[in-house]
Amino acid sequence: MVNDCEMSSMKIKKTILIFATLLLTSSGTFAAKMAMPVDVPASYETECASCHMAYPPALLSEQSWKNVMSGLSKHFGTDAGVDAKTQIEITNWLVKNATTRQKYIETAPENRITKTSWFIRKHDEVKPDVWKRVSIKSPANCGACHIDAAKGIFSESKIKIPLK
Amino acid sequence: MLLKFITTSLLMGFTFSVFAITPQDLLKIYEAQSSKASPSRGEQFFNAKHGKEWSCSSCHENPPNHDTKHIVTGKVIKPLAPNANPARFTDEIKADKWFKRNCNDVLDRDCTAQEKAEVLSWLMIVK
Repeated sequence: MVNDCEMSSMKIKKTILIFATLLLTSSGTFAAKMAMPVDVPASYETECASCHMAYPPALLSEQSWKNVMSGLSKHFGTDAGVDAKTQIEITNWLVKNATTRQKYIETAPENRITKTSWFIRKHDEVKPDVWKRVSIKSPANCGACHIDAAKGIFSESKIKIPLK
Repeated sequence: MLLKFITTSLLMGFTFSVFAITPQDLLKIYEAQSSKASPSRGEQFFNAKHGKEWSCSSCHENPPNHDTKHIVTGKVIKPLAPNANPARFTDEIKADKWFKRNCNDVLDRDCTAQEKAEVLSWLMIVK
């Protein structure tokens, strides 16, 4: 037989447990969305990530990825053309894993992640001379400051801006 | 299980024998489509601009025997010279794909077999 005091204590513990579970689940979902999906095709590494970071697909919307993938022969000043089979494979995978979050869903101007309003807003405190530092070179070089960018982690606590 | 292993090994061996070539083999293929390559002309070609903004060395540097960085994105590019990176020029399809992409970037056209032969013949002697 438990008394009232023990009963309420158990209830509180149960409530904390439920909240903790919810919190863990939701943060897990959030992290997973930006993280590189485990089914990344090898062609994404060889065809895309040989010239730039393997951007997690959740950084762009479905439409933006379709736009990027339909113009690979003229890809930001370079020819990034791939054969038809590879193009379909990569496109399907990007579209499947594109963002569904309202915050990131806009169609990227010029197909650039770095021209989306959320990217600009998030980086508005970074001064122009910082972007030009030798070890940064380009806003496309996420990993220069976001030390775990390759794992899809862009949190504020994982930023280290190089001095040169 | 053992059968599966043997089959996989055989398949891998087969794939390997189809695609694996040496830089020397590839040079012969390009020379057969043109003529004997001159490494010094290859060096010149590699380091010169050809009407556009970039040369080969914009990303691969000169000599291309160390890790370099993509001129725009800063992404690390492994050494291009086979002496520094034995994986280079051992897959004809891959080599042709990159010649097509990079020649478009540097020359705004495909490279000729002669140009490919010359660049490769120079890269093969880069220490």
